[in-house]
Formats: sequence, C-alpha cells, structure tokens
Amino acid sequence: MEEGFNAYRQSLESEEQSIKSTQSVVEQAIAWFRAHSMFVLAYGTGCGAIEMPPTFTSRYDIERLGVVGVATPRQADILIVSGYCSPKTLKRVIRSYEQMSDPKYIIGLGSCTINGGMYWDSYNTIKKLDDFLPVDMYVNGCMPRPEALIEGFVKLQEKIRLNSSEAGYIKYRDNYAHYRANQERLFGAQVAPSYEENFAGMN
Amino acid sequence: MVLIDCFLMLLLAYGFGFLYYGLYRNLSARVHGRFGPSLAQSFFDSVKLFVKEQSTTFGWMFYAGPIIMATGAVLNVLFIPFINHGDSLQGLSSSANLIVVLYLMVLGPLGNALGVGSNGNPFGVMGITRGLTRLIALELPFYLAVIGVMIDAGSADFSAIFEAQSQEMNLLKHPLLFMAAFISFLGFMGKSPFDVVGAPQEVYSGPATEFSGKFFALLLSQSAMFSFAKLLLMVNLFLGGADDLGDLVLKTFVLFVAATFIGSVYARFSTIQSVEFLMRIPTLLGIVGLALL
Amino acid sequence: MQNLMQHFEIIQKTPTLYALHVSIETLFNTLHHLRYQSDFITLSQLTCTDWIEEERFELGYMLTNLERNCNLMVKCFIGRDDVTVASVVTLFPQAEVMERELHEMFGVGFEGNDTLYDFALEDWQDLPPMRREFDTLAYVQSHYDFRDGRDDNLDVKEQIKIRKAAAKSAKEAQGGA
Repeated sequence: MEEGFNAYRQSLESEEQSIKSTQSVVEQAIAWFRAHSMFVLAYGTGCGAIEMPPTFTSRYDIERLGVVGVATPRQADILIVSGYCSPKTLKRVIRSYEQMSDPKYIIGLGSCTINGGMYWDSYNTIKKLDDFLPVDMYVNGCMPRPEALIEGFVKLQEKIRLNSSEAGYIKYRDNYAHYRANQERLFGAQVAPSYEENFAGMN
Repeated sequence: MVLIDCFLMLLLAYGFGFLYYGLYRNLSARVHGRFGPSLAQSFFDSVKLFVKEQSTTFGWMFYAGPIIMATGAVLNVLFIPFINHGDSLQGLSSSANLIVVLYLMVLGPLGNALGVGSNGNPFGVMGITRGLTRLIALELPFYLAVIGVMIDAGSADFSAIFEAQSQEMNLLKHPLLFMAAFISFLGFMGKSPFDVVGAPQEVYSGPATEFSGKFFALLLSQSAMFSFAKLLLMVNLFLGGADDLGDLVLKTFVLFVAATFIGSVYARFSTIQSVEFLMRIPTLLGIVGLALL
Repeated sequence: MQNLMQHFEIIQKTPTLYALHVSIETLFNTLHHLRYQSDFITLSQLTCTDWIEEERFELGYMLTNLERNCNLMVKCFIGRDDVTVASVVTLFPQAEVMERELHEMFGVGFEGNDTLYDFALEDWQDLPPMRREFDTLAYVQSHYDFRDGRDDNLDVKEQIKIRKAAAKSAKEAQGGA
C-alpha cells in the first residue's frame, strides 16, 4: 500500500469515479452546473458575517468559484448561518430558509452553530443548529478565516456533485415533523406557520 | 430562409449576450482588483436556474411579466439588422423601421411592471416605480438623438440610415447627438450611475425580488439578449452598422467596454438625481445637436 | 462645573468624570436642570446595577458635554421590586431604547415610555435575565440541548499549574545542562 499525498489523491479520484459511474450524464451535468453556480443569501446572523465581506471582495474573491451574493431568498441556493443564533434570529432564519426554492443548502459558520461556542451558557442562543435546520456543511473556528469558508464552499461543491441525494433540503422535507417539533419546543406559542402543505404540493 | 436567418440571429444574440455579461463581470472584477468568475459564469447561472424549482406563485399575470419582457427582447433582436448590407442576418428588419424598434423597447419595462404589480412585493413595486420614472428621463435625450439621425437620413428605415452613413459615420458627423444617445444608453443598459432600479443595497433585487427558478432564468436570458439588441441599435445608428461579423463583434465590443468602464467607476445616482441629470445635460446636448443639423 | 458643584454634592472621580448621587424623588428634576440649565445635552449611557445584598438597584445616567469635555454620572438608588421611575424620553429622545432594554433585562418600569415591550428577547416568560437571582446555567440546561462530547466548564487550573511546573523544570534542566 502506497502512502503520501499522491496516494491519497488517487484514492479520492477513484472514489469519485465509482460514484460518477452510478449517475447518468444528465444528472452529472446538472450537478456540475449546480456546484459551479451558487447564490448565497446576503444575510448575516452573528459576528461571523464580518468574515463574509473579505471573502466576497478583492482579497479572497470567492466569485472565482461562481459564488455570488443575492439579496432575496427566492433566488438563493445557500444560506450561511454565520455565528451565534438567538431564538429571535432563528425564527427569521427559518422563515428565510423556507422561502428559498429547492435545491438549497445551509453552511453553518463558526463554532457557535456547532455546539454553542463561547456562548455555551448564554440564556439567549441556541446550541445545536442542526436540531432546527438541516446543515449541509459546518465550518468550525471562532472566527473561521475566509480561507476556511472557501474550503467549506469547495467541500460543499464536492458534496453537491457527488452526494446530491444526501442534501439537507431532502432531509428537511423527509423529517419535517422532527424539525418542526424542535422548533415548536423552543419557540412555544410564537412559532411560524407550517409549510408542510407546500411540501405536499411539490411531491 | 428567413426562418433560418431569424434563428441564427437569436442564437447569436443569446450567445453574445451571455458572453458580454460574463465579460462585464470579469472586467468589473479586474477594475476592483479581483480575478472574477469565468466568462461563461452567467451561462452556468442560467442553466442552474432553469433546473431549479419555482417556490412561489402569484397568479398567471406574475408569469406573464417575464414572458412579455422576453417577447420584447426577441422582437427587438429580430427587427434590428446585424449587418448593414446584403441579405444575411437581416431578420425581419425589412418589414420594420426605427419607430417600431423604439416602441418595442418600452415593452420590456411595461411587462415587468405588470408582473411585479401582481406580486405585491413592496421592493418590487419600489424598483418598478424608480424604473419607469427613470425611463421617462432616459427616453427624452435618446429620442432627440434618434430624431436627429432620422432627419439626417430622411427616413426611419435602417437601410436609409446605413446609406446616409456610408461616407462618414454619424459618430463623427453628429458627435453631440452621439453623446446624448450614449449617456441615455448607459441608463438603458442599467449601468452605474443610473442603476437605481435594481440597487441591491436599497430595494433588494428591485423588480426581480419575487422571481425564482425558471422565470428568473428567463429574466436573465432576456436581459442578456436585450442588452445585445441595444448595443446593436447604437452600432447601427451611430457607428454605421457592421460590414461583416468580425466588424459587428469589434464595434459592439468597443461600445460595451466603454459602457462597462464608465459603469465601474461611478457611484449611483438617486432617482431624482438621475432624472435631473438626464433632463439637463444629455437633453441639452441633443437639442444643440438637433439645431446644428 | 464649579457653579454646579456649589449647588450639588458632586464628587470628582477623574479630570473628566464627575459623579452625583440623588434620591428617586429629585431624579427627574435634577436631570431636567442639568439638561437645560447646564447644557448636558447628551445621554450617552443608562446603566443599572443589581446590589442584591442591599436589596436595591442603582440606576446610572451618564451625561456628556462634549464642548467642556466632561461626563457627569447621576446615580440613584431604587428598590428591586415593582419600581417605576419617571422616563426621561422628553429630555433625551435616545433614552427610549435604553429604558426599553433596562425594562427587559432588569424589570425596571419607566413611566411615560410607551415602548416597553419585547426588545431582544421575544416571548420571554422567565425572570428578567440580568437580575442576579436568575440562574443562567439552570435556564440554559432546561431550555437547550447540548451536543454530546463537549466538556465545558472543567476546572483546568490544576492542569495548567502542573504543565507550567513541568515546562519550568524542563527549562531549568536544560539551562543547568
């Protein structure tokens, strides 16, 4: 057994080939276009939003990868939950996410979205984002540098191209009752209207 | 024969439209000191949007809006000749003249207003109000310049306009008219300083706020084709039309790069400011140009 | 300032910071006087301190005069339960948001301020969270789920001491050799 970077890369490539052989040509093409054109909803929840301007502007220029910001959830593919999320914010995030059209993905940026981060004992921030929304890609760090965010985007591209059946929006649709129960438990009476009928129409 | 010609023209307009839009993003990225996306990025975006799901509906008028706009863009492309002589790439221009083209240019914003009006999104309505207000101010200098060109040629037919420019193009004959038309052309292209309609920091995406999936892709495609049609119109009116396909590419490209660079360095005018500016300087230039005819 | 010091018991804390204690009855009139007669036109902070041992809150109005470059902290003790203070929105419009926040975080009432509804915490049922009898950790543990595998709040002081001692001895050994 060979070792080192080249062997690792070859193992990745062969894995990619084996996955690709199960997809049809049209599926591959669509997945490729989806991976190379990602519209990000220009919306920041916490302090992580401060890392997004350098990511999008001259210094790191993520537009090279086909990532651009759009101003409305109707056209967006990716929602970046950037940092801590209070219940009040989470309500808005969920509403925005449900207004986005399929296929849609979520990137959780920063430690706060993973386990609460430095706000682990705060009375007003949630500790696990994936209880409420299906997160496709976590980028850890406090704060993650723009390089880390770009790495997250590249990994997400890979996921879109190769594992499109495991995408978060499918998980959300299939396990809506679970997510909804968690949301209701946190928000109590003030929970947003249910979108379950919309899912029924789509299927 | 005409059908093949029309089809070829649409294909060319579609291809060049997206290429120029990609080039616009690339060039403005270079002005910002970035590398920018690949040239075909806008094409990737539109393919992706065509296979994306539609998330909302507001009744049939909502869907009719983008379709009316696309109709306007397609007809514009078909009615403007690509080449200034011969039979190829003329489309339906022999059965139409400049006045029809100018009339069709307003169809897009009107269709947009109908579609946006039916979804009731406040940002969309704000965007469309700004757009129509600006359109009134844009049309005044542009029409003055076009009237000058028509007086010079003695006709509203494209063939007569080409003939009048066979010795010397209108850009050199009537520089004032060209300047008036060029400033309002910047506005028609939606470039800075006249981009209040879809200013993302103020009204989100403006008129396109509620559109998603296929209809947003349609909006993108039609705007790419429409910008190419506007480039063509400017080339035909002031640069003497194109002798062949290479000439066409060169002339539209020069015009496009000029518009892009001007758009990259100017800050945005507010609605009132842009109306005031367009009513003053280009209109004055147009009137002086008309007087000098 | 000298003129003011003759009328009020003002203590100078730093060259630019002064403090003044008033009772709850004279609070509004004092602020009114400072606002209109002494040109303290900016209310830069409105603070509240919870002295739970002495059963009282301490409100602090930080008034700023930029021209004279001086700050005056007007302090006032109020009770902890069901207290209502006269709102200073009429004197300083920016106090509206500050009072709204204090109402939410401490439960202090302000008479004359109409905006005392939910601010950052929506639909909050519990005690105001900045009061010291509010048990943050218990609230968090009852309302949120933690992700498994996270070891928080461990006492790492001992570990740090051991590590530092080890590093020190290693350094000494190196230096000795």
